This record gives sequence, structure tokens and C-alpha cells, in this order.
Amino acid sequence: MASAAVEAPSTAPAEESEEHRTPPAARPERSWVRLVLLAVGAFAFLFPFYYMIIGSLQRDPEPGPGGAFPNPANITLDNYESINSSISLLRSLVNSGVFTGGVLLGTLVFGLLAGYALAVLEWRGRGAVFASLLLVQIIPFQLLMIPLYVMIVRSYGLADSYLGMIVPFAINSVAVLIFRQFFLALPRDLFEAARIDGASELQILWRIAIPLAKPAILTAVILTFIGPWNEFLWPFLVTKEADLQPLAVSLANYISNLAGRAANPFGAILAGACVLAAPAVAVFLAFQRHFISSDLGSGVKG
Amino acid sequence: MSATSTADRPAPPRSRSSQRAGRSRIGPLFIAPYVLFLVAIFAYPVGLAVYMSFHDYFFAAPGAIVDRPFTGLDNYAEALQDSAVLQSFGNVAIFLVINVPLTVALALVLATALNAAIPFRTFFRVSYYVPYITASVAVVGVWLFLFNGAGLINNLLGPLAPAPSWFVNSTLAMPLIAIYVSWKQLGFFVLLYLAALQNVPKELYEAASIDGAGRLRQFMSVTVPGVRPATFLVTLLATITGANLFTEPYLLTGGGGPNGASASPVLVMYQEGIQQGNAGYAAAIGIILIVSVLVLAGVQRLVLGRK
Amino acid sequence: MKRKALSTLAVITLGVALSACGGDSGTSPDEAATVTGPIDIWYSNNPEEVAWGEAMVEAWNAENPDAEVSGQEIPAGTSSEEVITAAITAGNAPCLIYNTAPAAVPQFQKQGGLVNLSDFPDGAEYIETRTGDRSAQYQSTDGGYYQMPWKTNPSMIFYNKDVFTAAGLDAENPPLATYDEFLATSQTLVDSGGVQAAIWPAASSEFFQAWFDFYPLFIAASGGQQLVEDGESQFNNEAGQQVADFWAQLYERGLTPNENYEGDAFADQAAAMSIVGPWAIKVYADAVNWGVVPVPTPDGAAPEEVSTFSDEKSIGLFSACENRGTAWEFLKFTTSEDADGQLLELTGQMPMRDDLTTTYADYFAANPDYEVFADQASRTVEVPNVPNSIEIWQTFRDAYSQAVIFGDADVASTLDDTAEEVNTLATDD
Repeated sequence: MASAAVEAPSTAPAEESEEHRTPPAARPERSWVRLVLLAVGAFAFLFPFYYMIIGSLQRDPEPGPGGAFPNPANITLDNYESINSSISLLRSLVNSGVFTGGVLLGTLVFGLLAGYALAVLEWRGRGAVFASLLLVQIIPFQLLMIPLYVMIVRSYGLADSYLGMIVPFAINSVAVLIFRQFFLALPRDLFEAARIDGASELQILWRIAIPLAKPAILTAVILTFIGPWNEFLWPFLVTKEADLQPLAVSLANYISNLAGRAANPFGAILAGACVLAAPAVAVFLAFQRHFISSDLGSGVKG
Repeated sequence: MSATSTADRPAPPRSRSSQRAGRSRIGPLFIAPYVLFLVAIFAYPVGLAVYMSFHDYFFAAPGAIVDRPFTGLDNYAEALQDSAVLQSFGNVAIFLVINVPLTVALALVLATALNAAIPFRTFFRVSYYVPYITASVAVVGVWLFLFNGAGLINNLLGPLAPAPSWFVNSTLAMPLIAIYVSWKQLGFFVLLYLAALQNVPKELYEAASIDGAGRLRQFMSVTVPGVRPATFLVTLLATITGANLFTEPYLLTGGGGPNGASASPVLVMYQEGIQQGNAGYAAAIGIILIVSVLVLAGVQRLVLGRK
Repeated sequence: MKRKALSTLAVITLGVALSACGGDSGTSPDEAATVTGPIDIWYSNNPEEVAWGEAMVEAWNAENPDAEVSGQEIPAGTSSEEVITAAITAGNAPCLIYNTAPAAVPQFQKQGGLVNLSDFPDGAEYIETRTGDRSAQYQSTDGGYYQMPWKTNPSMIFYNKDVFTAAGLDAENPPLATYDEFLATSQTLVDSGGVQAAIWPAASSEFFQAWFDFYPLFIAASGGQQLVEDGESQFNNEAGQQVADFWAQLYERGLTPNENYEGDAFADQAAAMSIVGPWAIKVYADAVNWGVVPVPTPDGAAPEEVSTFSDEKSIGLFSACENRGTAWEFLKFTTSEDADGQLLELTGQMPMRDDLTTTYADYFAANPDYEVFADQASRTVEVPNVPNSIEIWQTFRDAYSQAVIFGDADVASTLDDTAEEVNTLATDD
């Protein structure tokens, strides 16, 4: 550790915003500890994913430990080609996009309003709504599923429609909980100052609360995105028409019917999983740099 | 129908901000769509579940003449004496004891480590996030390959490999599922903590370091208290995830094996309610589960939620 | 917080009591039996059955433009219970499902989801003529047929000839008839055949797994008994004890692992044998040099006397169907001699038809591999058609798992205890 200290300072390309946070007395060798820690962790987290990609490229399955190392003679894109030829990827992607997009829109519009109302505004019944919010988290979906299906399909007549897929997920309650929790953590003085300036609550939400809670909002977006994106059972129950089925359902169908007949069934399943994960990874990559913001400091000061 | 339905009750005493924000009309307006959603989506199924739990209920075709007698608390009494149900609740307790502290500690440590200018920051963030977004069916497959009797882990351990192997070992199956879920969900909780860390005033760190506090002291005395609302959230969400555990015992241990050592209440509910047609009994298990989690969440709120 | 949550719950419940009242009544069964018009059907989603289903629908629609059939795939696996239960409850089940598991029929019937086919004037007669004596196994406790027995995959032992040869065993006449032979052969296979396991059925706890280890051998050992007959468990006797002991030995000696194999153990040559139906011929044709024998019996009964598990799938006519006249005609159309012949040709699965080998003599002459299965298909036994059928199987599986697969309990007393539990379930309607 001591020897590392000599070369450490140059390896920390501190951004401007980080400098505030790095205390003057910080000992630079710590960043090596940090890096090693993170690298070990990253290995543990990425290895199964790596294994998944390798497995999806294998012509013959290698169940043993040897399967972790790519054998060039055994590498093929056949598994992906077989998916591409059995399901309409583009159509499924569009369906997934509509389903997930609808849920995101509902959660962002109504969820932010709800989170703000629960955290910042005062009104009668707030406690009861918050309690219900917690309550619905706890209810296992398996308990609701069949009554929910009966209601959506029979009472609302939404079988085989995008709306039928979206409605039960329309406002993600965990996202509302996250919004509330983070709005609650914002300094009250900000809101008071804006109110004194005559801003309406909607303006305060839009101009102050949302920009300041950006990392939390992005976290909630990711959370909300993952739910419908990977959801199998509900869209499957609601849509019997293959043209309307999102990617997770098409892939699950592919996995349960056709993968078993492929030359490498496990490879075919893993290839399906990679196809499903790729867009989600892409979305995360696009957003990830916004997770750390230094807006709060400037917000309070300015 | 909306939030006004509880308006006849006196509002609970509020914090100091109540006088300032006032009881604006805008609050109910903002919350109305969400309340409408809750009522539309949850009211009927939840109400039906409560009703079901007091009857010998099963799902029937519309118009079918079926006998579903009122049975009072029988379903509850039976559930509380059913060894499979009790075992599943015990399993979840084991799960929570391992999963929740592990999740909270690892997520906070990793988030703190990531919340700095370090090389490959993007790479690290993405790596922690990848298991969270990947569909269970695939990751479960990989874990099975790693931990089955002839898998990679046992190969590495050699003579130290447990016998029976991990997922068929009644002592190890549930802890391994708890670790799996921590691993799978951690990326999301790291993000939550990362977001929370942005709200910890930097001045506090500066003040602490002027006082001569080292990194560890700063972490304990500034970071940990600073992200307390997030810790409450993480604990709550991890508890809820644990209580609703289903996919993992269903897929990883082939339906809660060995001998039910990894069965969860929701798995038992699924078997009873959907596979075996005892919907009333399953609903009672569900209600018991919900009440237990509510109690647990209340305790957590007492411990972590107060300012 | 708890108080609030409860009061919220109360408010919500009140809302429901109101919304739950508006149920409507279905169509009366007698009127519906003759109504014709378009219908929906679901078939299983494996490529062979889809091809057959599409061909049937196309042929029907060409001749019946007024009563068109539209077909859709449903998953065969674990999610089909949710799908069908949800559809029954919502009243939007299709007219016919060509993948109805006999074990689920008592439950669907109790839910009011199935139409009694005996209500059609020629219903019972049609089924009994086509299926013969075995149709009795598909009768519900009230004497009605709530399912049409359709096709079977009689369970037999597939073995890998190359592995047997490598282990120094006679691959053409493998010693697998008695339990002692089977155990000795298994030991040899694992010791010197280069396989991890002799035979590797799923060790997991799903209710249906017993159909692929204990049950076929029990049927064979007991001379064709069902798990439950006349509301009485049949497995806590000598035959059941012998079968359970046999599997317990395989597990204990490590010849059968107590953990699931990820993938197909037989195809990957991790196991030398497998319990399969005729579907396996197409699946393993290129991968394995296979042979087939009947399931073993304690003392090695003659092959032509061995009964086995049918692994049958039925066709259900669901009560949500409005045009039941068309549904019944289409059902007969798809179980005609021609249609059954096409099913055999396309899928290799055996139609539930008497005199299979004579009716399709040409097919079996051209495909001799299938003949041994066709012969076995005439001696199959179904799961019992009793109330709480799936719960019975889950109860049995849990107990079996503990005593046999993991060896954590005494086999004899476990079978006795389970038999009592099962008796209660089978008579409790």
C-alpha cells in the first residue's frame, strides 16, 4: 500500500465537481484499495454475464468449467440466427417499446405528481395514501393475478391490446416511493423561497424539485423500465395474438418450444437472454452518466 | 373515490412545514390519478383476496353454479398449522436475515466507492447493473451451471465442496438463494444509494476532515447518517422483494427443494391457489404474508425512518 | 401505520363488494350444444403439433366457410395452468384446448370450465368406440366425459447402445427386465460406461415429476393399478414399496443424482438411460444410437404384460364456448381415422385409438421404430380422475422426495402416512 502511494495521485482524474468532496487530508493510496475492491466486485458481477455471452456463442454445450473459456472451434452465431428466423424480432421490439414506453410515461407523469404530493404538499388523507402505497408493494402478484385478469379482460374488455398490457403497471409504486423519498430529502427552504416568489406548485415541481432529484428520477426510470421490459406472465396472459406480444414473451415462447430442439438448447436460451438484455444495457449506458449530478450544491447556493 | 374518502378523519399532526405549505387544494389534485390507479387496479383484487380468504373459494367460470361456503377463520387456522406454510415463512426469515444486511452494506460501500472520480467508472457502474437488468431465466441458468454438483464452483473447491451440493443441500439452499438475490438486485440499490449520496452536503465532509476524521470515520459519521432515508427505502424494498420471493425457488431449486427447504410463502401460495385450486387457502396465506410484512415494515420504520 | 393500512383496506374492500356483484350468467348448455359458428381453439406449441393443428384448421375451414376455426398456440410448460385457469374464470377460454392434462380435468370440471361431452347425443359412444376399454379411465366420478382422450406417449426405457457397448454390456438384449438386473446394469454403466448417471429423471419437486419416475414403474409392478382407485390409495403395498425401494437404491448408490441435470442428460450422454415416450424418437434420432425396452418390474414380467404410464393429453371443450355444435363436430373431425393418422405421421405420438397397429399398419411397416411404442400404447394407465388430483400428486411428490430422493425418512412409514393424507384428499370434494 505504501509503495502505491507514490504513483497514485496521477491516476485520479478528478472532475471539477469531485474536488469539493475530496477532503484535503485524503490519502491517495485509498483509491487503489477502492479500485481493487471495485474490480473484484465487477468480476463477480460480470462473470455470469460473460458466461452467458460465451454460452450463447457455443455450437455444442460445454457444461463443465471449460465452458468459461471460449474455444474458437466451437464459436458460432447459429443460436442467434435460429432466434432471428423463428420470431419476428422487430415486431416484438416495437411491442416491447410501446408497452415499456406507456408504463414509463404513466409513471413519470402521474408518479412524479404523486411523489411530490406525498413529500411536499399537505392534505388530508396523505398518510392513508402513503400507507396504501406501501401496502400494494407487499401484495404478491400471484394473489392478484387471476382477479386482475378477469377485471382487465372482462370488465374493461382490454384483451389483446396495448392498454391491457400497460394498465396494471401504469404507475410504478416503487417509483412513486422513490420520488417521495428524494423529494423529502430536498431542503424545504428551496420550496418556501419559490412560493414566496409566487411560483405555483406545478412550477416548483417542474423547475426545482425535478431538476434536483434527477439522479433519483433516473433510478426510478431504470427501475420502471426493467419491470415491463422483462415481464413475461402478464403480457402473455393478456395477449394471445403473436403480433402483439413483446420480446420477453416471444423469447419465452421460443425458449419453451424451439430452444429444446436447437443444436445447443442452452446456447439458444442464453442467446435469447442476450437479445433481451442488450436494449436494456444500451438504455442504461445512455443514461448512466446522469446518475451523478452536482446540481444540488449549486441549487442551494444559487 | 379519491383521497377525499378519508377526509372525515382528522389529519394526523404534521411537522413544522405544515403551516407553511398550508392545506392546499392542489395536493389531492396531484395525487388523484395515482389514487384512481390504486383503486382501479388493486381494490377489486385485494378486496376479493380478503373475501376469498374467509371462504372455501376457488376460481370458477362465470355463470357456473358452485358452492363456496363461508368458513370464517378456518383457512387462517389451517395455514398457521400447516408445516409447509410455517416452513416457508421460516425460510423467508432466513432469507431476510442474510439478504437485507448484505444488500444494505454492500450497496452502500459500492456506491460510496463509485461516487468518486475513479478510472473506468462507467465500466464499473455498468457491471454492477448488468445482473439487475438481465432476465431471471438466463441468470438462473448460469448460476445453476456454477453451483450444481459438477459445476465450476465445486470444481474450484475440490474436496471442500459441500455434500450434498449447494442447491440440494437443505442447509445451504436458502442462504445461496439469499446471496443470489442480493447479487441480482444489488445494482439497483447501488443506484439508489448513488442518487442519495448526491444529496449529502459536501460541506459535511469538509467539516469532518477539518476535524481530523479519516475516511472510515467520515463514512460512519457523515455518509451513513446522510443517506438514512435511502437506507430505510433500501431496507424496505429488500424486505418486500424477499417476502415476495418466487422466481428463484421456482427456477433455482426446482420448486422449493430439497424437501421444501427453499420454498417461499408465495411459492406455496402459487401451488395451492393456481396449481391445486385452493384459492381461498392461498389467499389466507397471502394475507398472513402481507400482515407480517406490514409489521416488519413498521418495525423498520421505527428503527430507521425517524429523523 | 398499520391502523391506516387497515382502514385503507376497509375502504378498498367496500368498493369491491359493490363491483363484485355484477356477474352475468352463461349460456344454457342444452341450447348451446347445437349452435354452430366460428370457434377458437388452442393447441400445444411444439413445432410438430403446430404443423398438425394448422393442417387440421385449414382442411376444416376449406369445407366450412360458415363455421371457421381459428387456432392459436399456448405454452405446453409451466404457465399453461395460469393461462387456462385465468381464461376459465374470465369466461374467455377457447372452445377447444388440444393440450388438456387429465390431472387438471377434475379441477377445471369443478370450476365449471368444462363441458360434459356425454351431453352430446353421440358423445359417450364416440369416445368409447374410438378409445375402447381405456376410455373408462377418462370418465369423471359422475360418469361423464369432461375430456376426449386424444394421444398418448407411453413411457418406456430408452437406452444408449454405445454406452452399453462401452461398458461391456449386451446392447441388443440389455439386462434391464428385473430390478436386480436393472441395478446391476446401472452400476456397470456408471463404473465403466463413461456416464455420470445410469438414469437421470428430474429430482425436483413439481407435482408432475412423479409421472416420470415412480408412477410408470408402479403401474408396471402393480399390474396396471392407478395411484388411487375408488378413493383409496394403492401405493402403500408391496408393489409401491418395491418401486420406492428400487429408486431409493439408485439414488443412494449415486446411480441417479438427486440434483437436476441442466439440459438433456440423455442427449449429452451424461446418463445412459431415460424414461420417454415415442416423441423421443424424432428428438434423439441424430444424437443417440438408441434402443428401447419396457420399464423394469420387480421380477421381470414378460414385455407384452407390462403396463405403463400413458402420459396422455386430452381435448377439453370449455364451457365458455358458444358454438358448441361446431366445436363438437370439429373435435370429431380432428380425431377421425384420417386426422389421427396425420397426427401419428407428423408427431410420432400415439392417438388414443384401439387397434392402433392394425389401423395404421402401413405406417408402422414403414416406421418400425414406432411399433414397439404402439404396442405399449394399448397397455397404458392414466392418472386417477379424482377430486384434488393435483394436490394429491404434490403431496405424494413431496413425501417421495424426502424419503426416496434424499433418503431422509423411512420409505415404508412415509408411504403409509402419505396414503392416509391422499385418502382424505381423494374423498373430500
